[in-house]
Amino acid sequence: MRRSAEERLQRLLVMLPWLMERGEVPLAEVAQRFRMTPDDVAADLELAAMCGLPPFVDELIDLFIDDDVVVVGVPRLFTKPLRLTAPEGFALVTAGRAAMQLPGADERGPLGRGLQKLSAALGDDAVVVELPRPAEVDDHIAALSEAIRTAERLVVRYWTASRDEVTDRTITPRRVVHDRGEWYVVADDERSGERRTFRVDRFESIESTGEHDDVEDAAPGASLEWFADGGLPQVVLRLGPAATWVVERYPVDRVVELDDGALEATFPLASERWLERLLLRLGDEAEVLAPEQWRSRAGEVAQRVLARYGE
Amino acid sequence: MTVDRVERLTNLLALLLETSRPLTLVQIASELAGQYPDKEATRRAAFERDKAALRSIGVPIESTVLTGQSAGVGAYWIDRDRYELTDLDLDPDESRALQVAVAAIRPASGVEALWKLGVDALEDGAAVTATVPQLAGLPTLRDAAARRSTVTFEYRGKQRTLDPYGLLLRDGFWYVIGRDDEHDEPRTYRVDRISGEVDIVENATFVRPAEFDPRDAFPRDPKQLGADADVDAVATVRVDGTRSAAVERELGSGRVVARHADGAIDVEVPCANLPAFRSWVLGFVEHAEVLGPAAVRDDVITWLRRVVRRGVA
Repeated sequence: MRRSAEERLQRLLVMLPWLMERGEVPLAEVAQRFRMTPDDVAADLELAAMCGLPPFVDELIDLFIDDDVVVVGVPRLFTKPLRLTAPEGFALVTAGRAAMQLPGADERGPLGRGLQKLSAALGDDAVVVELPRPAEVDDHIAALSEAIRTAERLVVRYWTASRDEVTDRTITPRRVVHDRGEWYVVADDERSGERRTFRVDRFESIESTGEHDDVEDAAPGASLEWFADGGLPQVVLRLGPAATWVVERYPVDRVVELDDGALEATFPLASERWLERLLLRLGDEAEVLAPEQWRSRAGEVAQRVLARYGE
Repeated sequence: MTVDRVERLTNLLALLLETSRPLTLVQIASELAGQYPDKEATRRAAFERDKAALRSIGVPIESTVLTGQSAGVGAYWIDRDRYELTDLDLDPDESRALQVAVAAIRPASGVEALWKLGVDALEDGAAVTATVPQLAGLPTLRDAAARRSTVTFEYRGKQRTLDPYGLLLRDGFWYVIGRDDEHDEPRTYRVDRISGEVDIVENATFVRPAEFDPRDAFPRDPKQLGADADVDAVATVRVDGTRSAAVERELGSGRVVARHADGAIDVEVPCANLPAFRSWVLGFVEHAEVLGPAAVRDDVITWLRRVVRRGVA
């Protein structure tokens, strides 16, 4: 892939100060660290060695590549990295603050101290990252993380919301993921033979088995399939003024503000049960506009619940 | 003579960093002989492109308009103090902690920042990761909050001017909290609803209220169960066996007042905030039933009847 001049220069400006500090580094190591091919590293460094100040007789960037080792002489230019850009500062601050919310982090530990130094350099910004872990989820996360380390198989009791059924399964957890306010575990599911995503708060019990699968060095990019909203059917709701919080709470594809303060919102329909629960809870404040077969659903569900009350 | 653009950019950067006085484009082109086109219009265009390229990677280029003999001509330089990264003096364990933190965040970001701090980036392999949504306006908003700079952006079809006090990531959404030019109270905006760019307003700064915490300024969630904790009204609810374990975990075993042979349980649930209680109990659809008190049970029945009637009409 052809890299732009901006990308190449940006990379050079972090590579050079690092090389100057080290003096001599194998080309392969430079390439690995900065995620480039050795050929690209060599080409860019050789180009940098030709740069400098007029009249270009003195080598300001004194470096050469000899026998696949980068050798840097007395540094005079670009000895310090360029300051952090706004996106870089943001990335570092949010990563640090998010990690501070993960299990095991400690304000007074190394991360807390590192973050304080970062804040001192980047300014006091009042950025708060919340990754809430209710107590019952916390215990599960601890058990799952421990099992990930050793690839231990677990026997779990799990509630599947879309079918409203509880099943016993054997899973090998691979990664715990927090997304949109919920905790998930990506795990190999013995029953289906597939890698599946489970919501941690829907485990009713987790038990260890003492059996182990192979540990994976790098958990492969887990696909949280219900976030791939494109493939899901859509439902259009009219939300009254008291129900507009719904668009803040759930993933929404489109929102149109209506004249009377109501919203017309299009949601990806993750499960029918989700929609039924939502309609029941919103009552008068919500109405299904489309698709047609869902328009009567709220009344049907309410009737079903009323039956329970003897009506 | 053709020069690799990276070479010309590097030379320009070196020149502007090392110069002891602001340089005009004519001076720059003469110093970097043969690297910029001779024709004035094309030379200006090439230089503007280079300047934009350097700025896009974060190089702060200062400019001034000269007076005296060359009055009205623009001149440029780079302030080394603004260019160079302040040394954070991270201890090895602090570097390591930031390295692990960056590896635990999805989508991956912050790798370049780590490199600048002299820290190697880890390959993807964290056991616990968190998704932190990335949005175009966020870096500028954070920067503005840190520098107390006023910003302006379009939100729901309207241009707003805001003093951004802080940012909050809650339930997967980013919010910016601050004071806008039309309201006295702090307002909350969803960052993903901002259309287009967030711009910093030149020379407009603000003072952030002391002890500001975005969590306090955030509107309280009225749906929260037992929002009025000082009123100790409770309802008794029967929950089917399929959901009983989860409910017991949520409320605690102390709330269970009866256990049935089929696995169902009766629990006492705060109901002072009736709409919140109703929402909670209806979330179980037909798998939960309010047993009492009668007024609360009737409230739920009336609610359900209304939903049924509406479906008929």
